[in-house]
Amino acid sequence: MKLNRRTFVAGTAATALIGLRPAFAADEKIVRFGMPQDFTKIYTFVTAEYSQGQRDYFSLINARGGVGGYKIVADVSDHANDLPRAIEAYERLKREGMVLVDPLSTPVARALVSRALEDKVNLVTAFSGRSDAADGSVFPYVMPLSPNYWTQAGLIVDFFRQQDKDLKGKKIVLVHIDTPFGKEPIPIFQALSQKLGYTFETFPYTPPGNDQAAIWPQVRRAKPDWVVFWGAGVGQTTALSEAIRNGIPMDRMSSSVWLSESDMDVVGKEAAKGVIKFEPCAGGRSPKVVADILKEVAGKGAGAGPEGKIGTAYYNYGVMMGAIMTEGVRVAAAKAPDGPVTGPWLNEGLTSITDFTAEGLLPAMTVTKEDHQGGGKGRIARWDGAKFVPQTDWFSANQDVVWAEIKKSAETFKTTGK
Amino acid sequence: MFYRRAGIRHLDYRHERQLWPLPFDRLLVGVVVALLLAAPFLVDRLYLVAYLLPWLIWSSAALGLNLLMGGAGQIHLGYGAVMAIGAYTGVHLVRLGAPLELAMLAGGLASALIGVIFGFAALRVKSLYLAMATIAMQYIVDFGITHIPGVSGGGMASIAVPPVRFLGVRIEGDLPTYYMALLVCAIIAMFMLNVGRSALGRALAAIRERDYAAEIIGIDTFKFKLLAFWTSSFIGGVVGSVLVVCYLRSVSPEQFHLDLSVQLLAMVIVGGLGSVLGSFFGAALVLFAPIVFDNLIGYGADRLGISLGADLRAHLPLMLYGALIIAFLVIEPLGLAKIYDNVRNYFLVWPFRTARR
Repeated sequence: MKLNRRTFVAGTAATALIGLRPAFAADEKIVRFGMPQDFTKIYTFVTAEYSQGQRDYFSLINARGGVGGYKIVADVSDHANDLPRAIEAYERLKREGMVLVDPLSTPVARALVSRALEDKVNLVTAFSGRSDAADGSVFPYVMPLSPNYWTQAGLIVDFFRQQDKDLKGKKIVLVHIDTPFGKEPIPIFQALSQKLGYTFETFPYTPPGNDQAAIWPQVRRAKPDWVVFWGAGVGQTTALSEAIRNGIPMDRMSSSVWLSESDMDVVGKEAAKGVIKFEPCAGGRSPKVVADILKEVAGKGAGAGPEGKIGTAYYNYGVMMGAIMTEGVRVAAAKAPDGPVTGPWLNEGLTSITDFTAEGLLPAMTVTKEDHQGGGKGRIARWDGAKFVPQTDWFSANQDVVWAEIKKSAETFKTTGK
Repeated sequence: MFYRRAGIRHLDYRHERQLWPLPFDRLLVGVVVALLLAAPFLVDRLYLVAYLLPWLIWSSAALGLNLLMGGAGQIHLGYGAVMAIGAYTGVHLVRLGAPLELAMLAGGLASALIGVIFGFAALRVKSLYLAMATIAMQYIVDFGITHIPGVSGGGMASIAVPPVRFLGVRIEGDLPTYYMALLVCAIIAMFMLNVGRSALGRALAAIRERDYAAEIIGIDTFKFKLLAFWTSSFIGGVVGSVLVVCYLRSVSPEQFHLDLSVQLLAMVIVGGLGSVLGSFFGAALVLFAPIVFDNLIGYGADRLGISLGADLRAHLPLMLYGALIIAFLVIEPLGLAKIYDNVRNYFLVWPFRTARR
């Protein structure tokens, strides 16, 4: 036992003593992004696919010689949705000169908002964080850079309207996880029900959502015309399975962005046929950027993960966000080629992105100092048993209602900190 | 060696009962306190804000939980909820204009009040059943916070802490937050060190060992069990306020979920039940082992040019962390504090081999 103990103490001491600073080539012009994300706790496979897409895109850009004379260094680590770990990663990367951080987690993004605003580090909160951060005048360094949940709700309702011509007298129900994230879209559904004349009901299920057996029979009895299910991870597959069991027609069910091919493997590809979801960017391998990655990165064995995952929904979200960040660097470098590379420098670039489509991967996106959401365009796609097939062109809808909510909420944050 | 006992003579009981009778222990405590006080000027900012500050706060919380678990032997799986009550009470009061000092105490009192209600369960049930009762507390408080918009802060369920002053100093930036956490931690640690040699501490120890035996020797278990819940919850509430004011800067429900309770429980058990030093060791291990392993593996993989798959890269630190905890508990089931104690005992009688306390 004694020897063990001694080895143990020595080992622990050695662990503590080794320096933790990674070395990088000093002469290259680099822009450093921090990607502490949750690989191990809640989002797991979502993060794995998203991060793979991001890293593959950066590899593609760096292999082509960078952008605007800069190479992109993405420091990926695991914060396990744990705040001390995320804050440690944030502070460590900030010391190393990080100008952008993408935690891909709502709790972490919330905890980092005040730090990012103070330190002038661009906090990317794509598909996470506060929806009202779309208001750039209140949140100058918080960058959703993607259609927020309110916009998604607005677009989904508009798709229902397109299908049924008129929603008057129809019933839309929201089956959601009973957390702040799950309740977030409710104001939009309510505001739109006033405007469009449908009735709206909510059915909350308890987190994490792996048991929803009690709620779906109630949904069936409510006889809804449209069902929106709002959750993430295990809650989504459980919702779909329960809906199928209760005989709710799949082609009348819609999800937010959080539904992917991997979920369909769990639910059953055939059984879930017809279900619809919101799509912020094109899926599959046909978009040019994804095809380029397949050829130039994965084809050369430099891919960040299994090749089979390339082109899945979350992988493409990662590519999308990587492309938007890179475009921010390009614009920033065009404005001030010699830097210095700081948070405000990149912020100038990110807030001047104009009509960016990443070669057809995403709808034309324009970010301004006021609108950090980038226009709020997207489309609706339907699962055909093998892949998600777009049902609409890129469109934007109900942005007046969404922006009223954004302004209201951002104003509350400004005056009361809530 | 170091811990020289020659020449120490106890002339009265007070002298014999002092906290650190050995000069070397006193020296060690003095050095550690001096280092902590000087830390902002000695270590890089990163280590101050991302390591020392959370360490002090989590250690304070672990100390509070340790009073209940190690001191009184009552298990508590809802300590995160206790902290949440304190944090929310504190933040809301500060926003209403109350001074932070008062808000912290009020947060502590609110936690103590609600904590003691669930503490009543401890009068009826023990061990695993009590664990269930306290888990229920965790879920009830979580539910309450998320479903009362007035508490959680409405749609975004996040409330920023307004600028505050503590003892006349503005709590912003690195130094004031650190020293505030250090002060609170020091007060709690002093209390915990002393509670063991007070009537309360002895009564709790008696209850911990066998509560009906304690009853037989004249200890009012009803009173002392509730007192243990009261005191421990009070500390938890105060630390909850410190956590949001000094470290998180905004308060939202998911910061205080079961994860936090389990984390604190792990700190207390791995550190050593009933040990003050152990709470500090446990907090350090549970908070930082995953971070250090993650950084080391990232660094090693970069340096040696090994490409690890994303999954392995993310999970390897957790595997090592799990193995480390198991190894520590196999080597010394009584926790990290006992490992330190073994080393100390070894040197106490060095060069002889057997330690007699």
